[in-house]
Amino acid sequence: MKTIVLIGILALAASAVARAQGRPTLAFRGDAGFIWVRSDSAAAGVGGIGAVRLRGPVLGGEGRLVFNGFAVGVGLLSGTLQAADQGTMKRDLIEGRLVVAARPVPWLEMSVGPFVRAYVTDSVTERWVFWQARARVDAPIVTASLTSYLELWRALSSEVNLVAGAGRVQGGEAGVVYRPPQRPYWVRLAYRVDDAVVRAGGSETLEAVSLAIGVGSW
Amino acid sequence: MTRATVFLSMSLLLCGARGLRAQAASELLGQGVRAYQSLEYDAAAALLQQSLGRDATTGLADSLRARALTYLAATELFRQQRDSAVAAFRQLVMLNPRYRPDELIFPPQVTNLFQEVRKATRAIAVAVPPVTALRTRLERFTAGVLVSSLADVTVTLAREDGTPVRTLYEGPVADSLAVKWDGLTAAGTTADNGRYLLQVAPRTPTADGPRARQVVLEVKQELPDTLAWPPPLESPPLLPERTSTAPAFRSLAAGLVTAGAVVALPSIMARGKDATGARFAVGAAVGISGFVGFFARKPRPLEANVRANASQRDAWKKKLDAVKAENAARLRTMRLVVRAGPETVAERGSQ
Repeated sequence: MKTIVLIGILALAASAVARAQGRPTLAFRGDAGFIWVRSDSAAAGVGGIGAVRLRGPVLGGEGRLVFNGFAVGVGLLSGTLQAADQGTMKRDLIEGRLVVAARPVPWLEMSVGPFVRAYVTDSVTERWVFWQARARVDAPIVTASLTSYLELWRALSSEVNLVAGAGRVQGGEAGVVYRPPQRPYWVRLAYRVDDAVVRAGGSETLEAVSLAIGVGSW
Repeated sequence: MTRATVFLSMSLLLCGARGLRAQAASELLGQGVRAYQSLEYDAAAALLQQSLGRDATTGLADSLRARALTYLAATELFRQQRDSAVAAFRQLVMLNPRYRPDELIFPPQVTNLFQEVRKATRAIAVAVPPVTALRTRLERFTAGVLVSSLADVTVTLAREDGTPVRTLYEGPVADSLAVKWDGLTAAGTTADNGRYLLQVAPRTPTADGPRARQVVLEVKQELPDTLAWPPPLESPPLLPERTSTAPAFRSLAAGLVTAGAVVALPSIMARGKDATGARFAVGAAVGISGFVGFFARKPRPLEANVRANASQRDAWKKKLDAVKAENAARLRTMRLVVRAGPETVAERGSQ
């Protein structure tokens, strides 16, 4: 069912691209950040049994095809997290997303798409799959060169390969984007928080601070 | 009969009586002249004295009065009443210093006596038009000063209470002099509304010298039309000289609100969870960017508009100055209406 929806979204986006009067443009973004994960799910979660705190640097990127107020993008983020309490626990974090976005007005972007997050150990992989609906508001600080933004999202549906099952998943991101005059690139500083509730009790909360450099009209 | 009808009837009767009395005076004069011409000097003297005996309002006009006095003096001279003749001529000179008996009508002994009396009687008179309208500085009010013989006089204008306003003439007058007044005071300002005394007095008053004569002048200013002030400069058409403060505050608000959102995100989206302090660092950075935006977009002068406004202000000031100058010129040439009262003899103390 989800696959059908995804295909439908991509088909819509493709047809929009085809109808677009302006020429589609490509935009890329590279992220470097630091992530904190806190899991207090009673079930075997990110770190196993009980509350666990992990943290570590991550790298990521996203590419977008932008056309006439619409965009289709694919993003990936990856890093290795370690236990915050000097433990030996290590987990790889991998996030991937597919997004279809539209800008009905210049200061508002609405997007939707699947999101996958996986915590990987040698023995087990905890995988979350969400369908997210996102809304982002841009507020210029200095016209065209310095912009702040706030983005909130919520999972329309969520799945996790834990016995406890997935509950509500939501999050937000806020930050500031600087576009140097007469330069093709831009820089973004952002703070992100994701909260995924496990149905049996507890949750996994992810915080991230990221510095990104991008090119193209986002 | 209504009260108005009674009043009208009484007025008509009164006017009729006055007319009859005036007519009677001139009739007496005519009879006296005819008696003089018939050499009936006693009768002529009686008739002429009767004609002159009327009071000022119902008696003879000044021209007829002068004629009556001339005939009376001649009659008295031929009646061998020289003193009476001299007295009549003196009255005549006082009445009109410029009057001369007609040498074709009166014999030389009459005209010679008149000249003798005229030289001995120093009289001054003032003749002014009843109403004069003049524009100050540009036009003149004219008063005629008449003297029976060479006299050194001062012509002054004073407020009714005696406050001097201006000396119009000081010097000798041989026969007559037209004294002109431009409507200004000695200080050069336009005479205020009010009553003034135009006085002609001998410069060295003596007990037997001529009495000063004066005329009351009622002066009224009539304000000229002045131009309206140009409307004050406002915006528009004045252009804003500084950029608005709104963008600066919008930038600051955007930065601070986003910074607040960064700090509050865990509370909103992950309620009850402990969040790291990382959000404060990002929130501070976003907040600082808001201040950067505030200072980058703070109001600054718009030089082109300042220059454009300066030229507009200069033009407006020139227009204002032109209106001021025009109005000042119009006010300087204010219109005065001068109404003259009867000529009277000035009190000794007022000379």
